[in-house]
Amino acid sequence: MTTTTVTLADLTRRTGLDVLDHLEQEMAIPVIDGLQAQGDLIVVPLDLARDMSAARTARWRPVPAAGVELLRGAAGGNPHTLVADPGTCRWTTDVIDPEALAIGVLETRAVAYLIHPEHGGTGIAPGAYAVRRQRERATQRPGRSRLSGGDRLVAD
Amino acid sequence: MSGPGATRASAKHRSAERWQIDQPPGEVLDRAIALRDDWLGRALCTLPADRPAAEAAITELYRLVGQRAPRFVWVDSPGAAADAGLIPKMSLPQDWTAPGQSTVWPLAARLATLASTLRHTLDECFRRRLPRWPLGSFLGWQAVLTLPPRESLREGASLSEILQVTVRDTLRGTVHESLGRPQRVLLNRPAMAWYGLHEAHWVAEHDILRTLSRSRIGAATGAQLDLWIALARSCGWWWPDEDVCVVSERPAAVHAEPVPGSAHGELRLHSGKGRAIRYADGWGPCSWHGTLVPSWVIEEPTVERILAEPNAEVRRCAIERIGWDVYIDRAGLRLVSTAPDPGNPGCLLRLYDLPFQSLGSRARVLLAVNGSVERDGTRRRYGLSVPADLDDPVAAAGWSYGLTRDQYARLLRRT
Repeated sequence: MTTTTVTLADLTRRTGLDVLDHLEQEMAIPVIDGLQAQGDLIVVPLDLARDMSAARTARWRPVPAAGVELLRGAAGGNPHTLVADPGTCRWTTDVIDPEALAIGVLETRAVAYLIHPEHGGTGIAPGAYAVRRQRERATQRPGRSRLSGGDRLVAD
Repeated sequence: MSGPGATRASAKHRSAERWQIDQPPGEVLDRAIALRDDWLGRALCTLPADRPAAEAAITELYRLVGQRAPRFVWVDSPGAAADAGLIPKMSLPQDWTAPGQSTVWPLAARLATLASTLRHTLDECFRRRLPRWPLGSFLGWQAVLTLPPRESLREGASLSEILQVTVRDTLRGTVHESLGRPQRVLLNRPAMAWYGLHEAHWVAEHDILRTLSRSRIGAATGAQLDLWIALARSCGWWWPDEDVCVVSERPAAVHAEPVPGSAHGELRLHSGKGRAIRYADGWGPCSWHGTLVPSWVIEEPTVERILAEPNAEVRRCAIERIGWDVYIDRAGLRLVSTAPDPGNPGCLLRLYDLPFQSLGSRARVLLAVNGSVERDGTRRRYGLSVPADLDDPVAAAGWSYGLTRDQYARLLRRT
């Protein structure tokens, strides 16, 4: 994958992942060098939030061409998937986050992409990022959550 | 070999061989998951009861506790059994010290003893054949919970550890908790009930372990397990009494969805259109994404009812049911402040006061706009509850991702 000419159609062809047909398929996907959100996930450059990092003993996994499913939506069918050219990007779920919202850390040497059936695709510039989920203040008593103060995770 | 240490080691070795030599653990795991999903399907079954099969199995269970065959009364639903006054009251024996199978105990108690003895026997039998959790595998419990089962296996978790999570816990969570509990709450009749197809959690676990481990369990034990399997495959809830056994039909409709983020096939009840479980007579619980709610939340949600509802969780479900943007418009919530949404050009973040208390303090709600368009060209608005001490919508949006106001203000793009 090159950094300038990738479209949603390219991504879906390469990964076999589908997106909804009303999304613009042929427009080049912007590559973002910084903080960006895709629905209930946010991609945070590690140099922006220094309280997060991969664990020292983190078990890293290479991101294969078919991608890594980061999170699946409430209806079960809408995953956020991280895709990259093989050998350029690695991912670990062993992450340190005082807010307990991070689901993992990615390190990529080339542009990686986050793809979602409803939100479409977005490019992630080379660098190290934590991926966090979104929370909201719970209106019920907290269950066995790792979150503080009775918060709950958002699932869109 | 001699000495207890050697015996233990060789037993452990044999136990490992059972899994690894003639069948690779990955294949055992795949079969277990297929059998689990097959059983989940049976627990969701909406076919009419197989009355002859159910009556034959119950009659045989009666015989095993020394009781002659009962007269069977069939009802459409557990609710119908309660309404007709057919659910027997729990009676107590004269002599509490009598052995469990003694006929001084009421029939329902004898059946319960029979089932718990069976479960204990099977647990012991399979425990000897499966390496017992916790083995302290290097992967850890949290990882087995979150990783897909095949991946846990590759990462070094033991097969039995994964089976506990992906077979036992999934069956129990889905069948006993997600399907069973809302009906028990709705029925609100403490009685010795058996759950037929909603008994599938423990029945299935033992059935699956028996199939996979090719364990030799005693003939009588196996035959009794087959009776419970027959019931889980043929009928709904049932209430035994000395001469009469009341049995419910299965539900006519069940609406379930995958539990978000579950790597283990767990399901929960959800329907935005009607009862999540509906029996032929209309009885059954309403559920919004797994939360048991009164039927008005699904069938007739209104702003007035939401304001009057004391249970915060029920309120949230009702608001989600009508949609946060609609609710905010109709309820006339007080706008605290607005700000442009960083990374989402042309869209505003709006912060509102909610008119009720949340966890003892006033809550606020942040109304945001999706970064991507829907099929009809609109952008969906959604509400997020946020701490009430936040006055700045950008700070509130940042909080939802664990970021400060200034960090979130640097958002470059939202899709």
